[in-house]
Amino acid sequence: MKMFLLTVNECSPIICFIMRELQNIREAKLKSRLDAVARFYKQQGRMPSFSEIGDMLGMRSKNAVFKFVNRLEDIGVVERDHTGRLIPRSLVSGARVLGTVEAGFPSAAEEELADTLSFDDLLVGNREATFLLKVSGDSMTEAGILPGDMVIVDRSQTPKSGDIVIAEVDGEWTMKYLRKRGDMVTLIPANHKYKPIRPRNELKIAGVVTAVVRKYK
Amino acid sequence: MTSQPLTIHSWPRAIMHIDADAFFASCEQAIHPELKGRPVITGKERGIVAAASYEAKAKGVERGMRLFEAKKVCPDVVLLPSDYETYSLFSIRMFEILRRFSPDVEEYSIDEAFVDLTGLRRSFHGPYSDIAQRVQETVAKELGISASIGVSLTKVLAKVASKHKKPCGLTIIPGRDIHIYLANLPVEKVWGIGPNTSAFLRKFSITTALEFAGSKEEFIKAYLSKPYQEIWHELNGRSVYPVTRESKSGYKSISKTRTFTPPSRDETFIFAQLSKNLENACIKARRYNLAASRLIIFLRGQDFRDTGVELKLTRTTAYPVEIMESLKEGFREVYKHDTLYRLTGVVLAGLQPEMDVQYTIFDDVPGIEKMARVYSAVDELSERFGKHTVQHASSLPAKLQAQHEGDRGDTPVRKEELFRGENRRQRLGLPVLNAKV
Repeated sequence: MKMFLLTVNECSPIICFIMRELQNIREAKLKSRLDAVARFYKQQGRMPSFSEIGDMLGMRSKNAVFKFVNRLEDIGVVERDHTGRLIPRSLVSGARVLGTVEAGFPSAAEEELADTLSFDDLLVGNREATFLLKVSGDSMTEAGILPGDMVIVDRSQTPKSGDIVIAEVDGEWTMKYLRKRGDMVTLIPANHKYKPIRPRNELKIAGVVTAVVRKYK
Repeated sequence: MTSQPLTIHSWPRAIMHIDADAFFASCEQAIHPELKGRPVITGKERGIVAAASYEAKAKGVERGMRLFEAKKVCPDVVLLPSDYETYSLFSIRMFEILRRFSPDVEEYSIDEAFVDLTGLRRSFHGPYSDIAQRVQETVAKELGISASIGVSLTKVLAKVASKHKKPCGLTIIPGRDIHIYLANLPVEKVWGIGPNTSAFLRKFSITTALEFAGSKEEFIKAYLSKPYQEIWHELNGRSVYPVTRESKSGYKSISKTRTFTPPSRDETFIFAQLSKNLENACIKARRYNLAASRLIIFLRGQDFRDTGVELKLTRTTAYPVEIMESLKEGFREVYKHDTLYRLTGVVLAGLQPEMDVQYTIFDDVPGIEKMARVYSAVDELSERFGKHTVQHASSLPAKLQAQHEGDRGDTPVRKEELFRGENRRQRLGLPVLNAKV
């Protein structure tokens, strides 16, 4: 691609303009094809096979698909594993990889962006075991959890001493710090108005609080 | 014959069937911790029992019962409106958990799945029963619901196993034990054998699944059609039905039905309900790139009697605009002014991939292509701003009036208690625990 650009630069203004237009059209075409692949990935949660790409983009020959995939690989949008199946790289975020690489000057910022976390990834660990809970009480205010806040609860984690847990104590549900000292288990509120709780009978822990979300606007 | 094993191979294949116990009611108990151990039924907004927890079943509540009957047999029952959003989330999660154990998961229905465990003993360092137990424990721990599991050599036998003990059952049927489980099982309880077939088999004095499985192949081939021959093989431990991994990509038909309360005899309103169902069915068809060639319309009266009609569409399509005329025609045929209706339904049938639909010479091709653009814009808007952002005016009365009028408690908590930023149409894709903490 860089070679191509060099020749463009050496041409007369008119040819240069035509070449650039041509390139724009090509880019737009590639972009729309790439969008189709990205959409497939988003909907199905996996990368399409070669024949699926062919069907999707109306390419009749596998060779056309092969060339298209090579191109995507060149610009770093996808990768292939040892069996030849596709692995998405910067496909999902829809990063603006295209423009910059075409121009030949990949910026450092773009490279850094390639691996990012969404808020979902950050806040939700084990998705299947994650629940939300709207806080209504004030027993954890000194831990920064206020009434109306949303806490994220993971049911799959084993509660450890120091965790904030959602627990059932003698038929009542509560959110407290969990403290374990040997065999003794105590639930400690983060509000001096309340006293620590020593469960008399059974203590059931519904989950561990992994994050709190408060949205102001 | 009856005391001999049907096969001596223990595990040529290992197929697991998982069936969540009283699924809707269990989901409610999982998100309302205070309801654990109490009789719970869902379906309040419909006026009938959609699902009953085991505590309610123990007191005699049955599916499909009217609510007042349920209250009579079980006065302390907790009535809840259906919260399909939460049930779907739990369903998806159950399938995801299963996929941690094996990639071969068949999502059979909202609360049931088949999983092919063949060959996984090595990776899990234990027998199939251990794997099944771990599945059951993971579902219980992470989702807070119980499920019954059966493991056997074929899908039909796995279903026999999961039904053997419910709730929270874990039944393993290796090849050499099949005959024990089939001996006392009435043949009509076998998956795929209906009342007509079992009545027919009774003529040959076959009443139990074991007698059916033990019949000679010549007899089966001479008297029964292919599906039953396959069931016969499956009962004998020879797997015929594969566990198909594809999550549903094709449908034979798409149906959308909605109950509304109070029942109505208002022509415009009832047609609006139908029109909304049609739009919903078309949205689903378009999502799977399907188009319909036949339309079935039905109305259910307050007396639970259905009247319906089937129409052939002029063009195979998934655009409501093209179907609306047929819908009106069918509605005029079915609707009676003096009847009180409680439910409408629309079925799109004769589905085929949209790509395969050919234009006929009478088709207005530019018009259709314009329609395609309009609906792809509508779908895009819906994705961004929520379903029915743009809709047919004929569906409007159904939108303006609440689907279920009456008690405040007819909408699930999830739709009423929103987080900042959520709205009536779009909410976070995580279930909400309803504990006061």
